[in-house]
Amino acid sequence: MEYIQFVLAPQMLNGLSFGVSVILMALGLTIIFGLLDVINMAHGEFYAIGAYTGFVLLGAGFSFWAVIALVPISMLPLGYAVQRLLIRRAFNSGDRHTLSLLLTLGLSMVVADLLRMGFGPNTVRPETPVKGGLELLGIFLPAYRATLIALGAAIIAAVYLLVYRTSLGAMIRAAAYDRNMAASLGVPVERVYSATFAFGVALAGLSGVLLSPVFSVFPTMGHDFLVLAFTVVIVGGLGSIKGAVLAGLLLTQIQAVSSLFISPVWSDPIVFGIMVLVLMLRPQGLFGKIGYA
Amino acid sequence: MLEAAAEKKGQELSGRVPGRGATAERVYAQERRAARSLHGLALLFFCALAVFAAIARAAGDSFFLRLATEALIFGGLAVSADILLGFAGLLSLGQALYFGLGAYASALVMKDVLPSFWLALAASAGTGLLAGLLGGLIASRVRGVYFALITFGLAQVVAKVIYNTRELGASDGIIGIPIIQVPVGFATVEANSPAGFFLVVLVAAMLLYAALSFLAGTPFGRLLAALRINQSRLPFLGWPAGPIKLAAFVTAAAIASVAGGLYPMLRGFVSPELMYFEMSTNAIIAAVIGGTGTLIGPLLGAVLLVFGKSVIGTFTEYHQIVIGALFMAAVLFFPRGLAGVVKAQFGGPKKDAV
Repeated sequence: MEYIQFVLAPQMLNGLSFGVSVILMALGLTIIFGLLDVINMAHGEFYAIGAYTGFVLLGAGFSFWAVIALVPISMLPLGYAVQRLLIRRAFNSGDRHTLSLLLTLGLSMVVADLLRMGFGPNTVRPETPVKGGLELLGIFLPAYRATLIALGAAIIAAVYLLVYRTSLGAMIRAAAYDRNMAASLGVPVERVYSATFAFGVALAGLSGVLLSPVFSVFPTMGHDFLVLAFTVVIVGGLGSIKGAVLAGLLLTQIQAVSSLFISPVWSDPIVFGIMVLVLMLRPQGLFGKIGYA
Repeated sequence: MLEAAAEKKGQELSGRVPGRGATAERVYAQERRAARSLHGLALLFFCALAVFAAIARAAGDSFFLRLATEALIFGGLAVSADILLGFAGLLSLGQALYFGLGAYASALVMKDVLPSFWLALAASAGTGLLAGLLGGLIASRVRGVYFALITFGLAQVVAKVIYNTRELGASDGIIGIPIIQVPVGFATVEANSPAGFFLVVLVAAMLLYAALSFLAGTPFGRLLAALRINQSRLPFLGWPAGPIKLAAFVTAAAIASVAGGLYPMLRGFVSPELMYFEMSTNAIIAAVIGGTGTLIGPLLGAVLLVFGKSVIGTFTEYHQIVIGALFMAAVLFFPRGLAGVVKAQFGGPKKDAV
């Protein structure tokens, strides 16, 4: 009982707070893939840009809540421009996957170095905006982690509702399902593509700013995180929102609990092993694609 | 116009259009021309490097010779990435894993077992085959973006494990590798002699090019091309796609591994960075800039990339910005790469006629 109260439950809650951030990141990836068929290798850099933007804004005296709103908004034009100027050029080629992957790869190199140039290679860490802790059924949880969980859950729910319960979401899904049919029904397909990419980028930025007080901020912060986010997306099924949420929760919980018993060094191989298993038994992931889910 | 389209379709289907028996011969003749133009470029490239070595040797240089040696070693890695990307149509984002494993195997053998050139390379090759088989069993089950992501994740995970393994030197890697003697038949070359070891690596690169050019013309090479062009159709022709993919993967891994095995002989150390994502992307960048599917392109690209980095590095420490931007431009406007342009210029019509 005490073990659960002081070891297991806090660890699982930590895993949960990490999980919602990973899901936010994975949601952006999976939406961009599901709609645009683009593997965005620069997603980790957008995550870093979000974290740095948040850091700068916090330094400029904005409150944390304002920053959480401002960062994704400021990421939107960036994502829109990247889609217009880069991704769209690869979009009509026969080998769209490889080409867009290589393009975003080049972009990630440029952005990572730009961040290094602008902010230096060292780690910075914004102050934890919500201090203190709270006790729930005798389990102690830092207040910021609790905020993270609540906020993350709300955002995930909002994204889900947006994609599946609004007419905007219907347009997005229609454009993903059948581009020509959607266009002939009056959906501005090109604009939907750009806007969706921008939306995914904004989610990455939001994830970056939310996690920055926990993991601190440095130019290559997105690299390791991207691997995990991709794993979540693959296990959940490329393009599936439901899949990303469930896989994100599952994998981060496995990581959190397993690190109680074995060295945390092995948590990555374990998660990766699960991904390999999923790919062997169910290559399309746990759930289908965004247009079909 | 329509006729050309029909002809192309016919080639795709059978390599020969009924009633137009000359088509296949024409395709083969054109391919031979294309191959010859690439061989010419390769000859030019290797000769230029030999001349460079002679001049550098005469000028008493060692920095640029060592840099060129490193470039050719990385070229081996780029060639291995190109076997997958340019021949089998599989984008690997983790090719550096096998390079790094080969480097570690070679370093361990030289340091702890016996400082022997051939033993070290054999260990690298063995490691590459084994690791390639394991990785290939996982990766060859999937295709497209899944393949890219699986190879990416695999490399990342293994690099992290090695980074955390104290027996393998953890983040420091393995240092203090002895300088070895390279027996080259009639004489021996010291691995720390810049010009001597450069020539050893140059000969290795030439042998690699020759062997792979031969391989590309064999039925196996044809199967790889088939895999790239239409994977779904392969099984209908009686060829299982999985084993072919696995074979390509193992071949590429072994090449990367052997190239990696040469690295500690040159630099005297290995570190987990050798397996990092940056190394894998550099291999892809070299292959794309040089020209995928041309074999000589990746070597050319690797030399350009390493020297380009060195030159840009004297102006700014942020060379990734320049390299990344150039790479994006190459992908968008110059997708055939340098060798691809040569192939198109001197190797018959521009139409891709595989």
